[in-house]
Amino acid sequence: MSKTVKIEPNLQFVKELQEVGGADLKKCYQCATCSVTCPMSPADNPYPRKEMVWAQWGLKDKLVNDIDIWLCHNCGNCSELCPRGAKPGDLMSALRNMAYRKLVAPTIIGTWMSSPKHLPILAGIPAALFAIIWMIRAAMLGTFFPLTEDGKIVYGNLFPGDFTIDPVFVLLFLCVCLCFGMGIKNMIDGFKATVGQTFVLGYKKPSLKDAIIDTVKYDILQHSRFKNCVDSPADEERVKGHQILFYGFVACAIVTTIVAVSHWGGKVVHFIAPLGHTPMPLWSPVKILANVGAVLLVTGLTLLTRRRLNADTAKSRSNYYDWYLLGVIWVVTLTGIGSEVFRLAGVAPLAFFTYYVHLVSIFMLIGYLPWSKLGHLVYRTTALIYARYVGRLPIGEKLIEDDKIFVI
Amino acid sequence: MASNSILVIGGGFAGLTAALEAAEIGHEVFIIEKTPFLGGRVMQLNKYFPKLCPPSCGLEIQYQRIKNNPKVKFFTLAEVTKVEGGVGNYDVTVRIKPRYAGPSSPDLSDLCSSLDSEVVNDFEFGLATRKPVYMDAPFAFPQRYVVDKAGMSDADKAKVQKCDYFDLNEEEKTVTLNVGSIVIATGWKPYDVTKLTNLGAGQVKNCISNMQMERLASPYGPTNGKIVRPSDGREPKKIAFVQCAGSRDENHLHYCSYICCAASLKQAQYVREQYPDAEVTIFYIDLRTPGRYDNFSKKVLADEKTFAVKGKVAAVEQDKAGDDVWVTVEDAVSGSKSVERFDLVVLATGMQPSLAGASLPLDVPVDSEGFIIGGEEKGIFAAGCAKQPLDVMKSAQSATGAAMKAIQTVRGR
Repeated sequence: MSKTVKIEPNLQFVKELQEVGGADLKKCYQCATCSVTCPMSPADNPYPRKEMVWAQWGLKDKLVNDIDIWLCHNCGNCSELCPRGAKPGDLMSALRNMAYRKLVAPTIIGTWMSSPKHLPILAGIPAALFAIIWMIRAAMLGTFFPLTEDGKIVYGNLFPGDFTIDPVFVLLFLCVCLCFGMGIKNMIDGFKATVGQTFVLGYKKPSLKDAIIDTVKYDILQHSRFKNCVDSPADEERVKGHQILFYGFVACAIVTTIVAVSHWGGKVVHFIAPLGHTPMPLWSPVKILANVGAVLLVTGLTLLTRRRLNADTAKSRSNYYDWYLLGVIWVVTLTGIGSEVFRLAGVAPLAFFTYYVHLVSIFMLIGYLPWSKLGHLVYRTTALIYARYVGRLPIGEKLIEDDKIFVI
Repeated sequence: MASNSILVIGGGFAGLTAALEAAEIGHEVFIIEKTPFLGGRVMQLNKYFPKLCPPSCGLEIQYQRIKNNPKVKFFTLAEVTKVEGGVGNYDVTVRIKPRYAGPSSPDLSDLCSSLDSEVVNDFEFGLATRKPVYMDAPFAFPQRYVVDKAGMSDADKAKVQKCDYFDLNEEEKTVTLNVGSIVIATGWKPYDVTKLTNLGAGQVKNCISNMQMERLASPYGPTNGKIVRPSDGREPKKIAFVQCAGSRDENHLHYCSYICCAASLKQAQYVREQYPDAEVTIFYIDLRTPGRYDNFSKKVLADEKTFAVKGKVAAVEQDKAGDDVWVTVEDAVSGSKSVERFDLVVLATGMQPSLAGASLPLDVPVDSEGFIIGGEEKGIFAAGCAKQPLDVMKSAQSATGAAMKAIQTVRGR
């Protein structure tokens, strides 16, 4: 024994990992089937076998800085072929859950997000906030369900954007950005310490700008990495569902941006103001885009939820993080559509209540973003950019002509 | 009527051993063998552990003992169809398929080679074809031809019928045997490679199973013992062995097949003895070489061109342009994943009990894998690989044990 390595297992960490989705990690016997079958795994230090052994030993330091947990797109090939039912795919997702929980402060939100028993707190905060606003406004207006003079429902009358909605969500958004900023910094510091440079002959080392552009163009907009993960109809459904959902979000984000910019910008440049004036007529291109977004959201959600419900639990188990996110997006989507439908139908109490739930669920989606599974939109993007930047590429990825790739 | 006879189901190494042990004590023994010849899987090996003897070595002694012992009666092409009664008094119905060829063997090799029909040779695991009148190996026992009537053209039938030695009109027979105890030595079958979808599912030309490798290396095999690639007959320069092909895997065989690691080491030696320039790599999860096999392992791995890499192969693919085989593996010690080209890949497929997916007309409990796990109170004893995966030596030991228990059951009846 020329070199003795002292291993200090963190048993608490192992237990926590088992709780957040890595229940079967101890079954692994290190055969390396997983790393081989993973279509995303690179040539040097491939994953997820090494994560399995680190997790078994409770090597927290190695795992919290591990870039590979974000490169994994959870296709489940590894769990499918695992001879022990150790579910490496579930461990990778448990590690991501661990990151959602601990990566950024205040970690108390991470703890609340980790278990359904804290759901009342998470829902209670926005529920109380908007209930108070509703009550104050009701006292001012003399009714809980105010209508306009011509008997129409306008949500802005109850929750005036300028004073209630926009300040709340802008503040929330800024806090979330700040948290994400800290998260990105933590991640990159960790990567710098652990991820080596890989030199691939024939692969020109990209500039940071190139890495960002390629990541956005291929990995995000085209889901090209994700599509590498497809080898069964269920996988295809997952990629399709994710991509449709993603574009649904993009549509809704564009609508929100147009409304916000034209509303606030309209106070300076007056002629753009009417563009985002709500409620919009159904023929408005912005409204059409919003409705298209809603349809995409429902379609994507249906595909993703159906896949999870039909998945073989012997191969992969969905965890609370998966269901929280799907659940919240379902509520956001359905209450969004409900608000529109009940408003048009003129059912005031139902419409206002649905809108209230919509606000609460949006708060739950955006306000807790850095600690929820949706945080991957920032964390995974960061990791993908970094991986491209340092050349940590899946073995055989067709970025350039095949026969020119030689990994040393 | 109480009987002190013993029935042995299966005429492989364990069955023969159990039968001889009981017969040589003085009990009447019946061996029921499904195939046309005795000897079982050992007959298909090139060399077998522990002493790396050719199968003729151990089996010919067994065959002599059978020939010289009137107490042993054996039925080939025979299957047990019904068992009635209880311990000490079983009535066993045996169905015997027609062999169409008579006893005492004249040399009919000229006639055989003059036949037109060719049938896939199961004994060679599909590596060759055979004539529809055949013997599995030169030292096959009984030394008596068998006719594969279904695989025969009409012209061949006419030709064969001219010879008095054959009777193509022979009918299926049924016999009933009265025995006091039963030994089940039904042995094993190689795990079905078509289920190993990530390892080529048997579709990659130069990816063979370990049992096929035994046939390639056997002097009586399809290549007369020269290890060559099935696709083009070329000498392989770079050979990979893929351990645990189906074994130790929840999706396939849940258990370790015990002997595959030692078998691959043995086969690495076959290759290295034939080709001084060839390079052999054994990819394993754990190189399991219990007992004396550990020394054997050290000896084989001391060779400068035999390598052992920890990491299970999880992808085997045919080269797009040629016949080479691409193997994807992670070296779990160094942590590097690579895609490597080999001339020949050998899958160390595991042992599956013959009773998996099949069943005997006997009320004996089997586990979920098909291994026998009881029946002793009924005077039914399992021997060899019907009970667990074993090497030949331990199979023989377990057969001796089963014979002893069977004798104790029928003694004094």
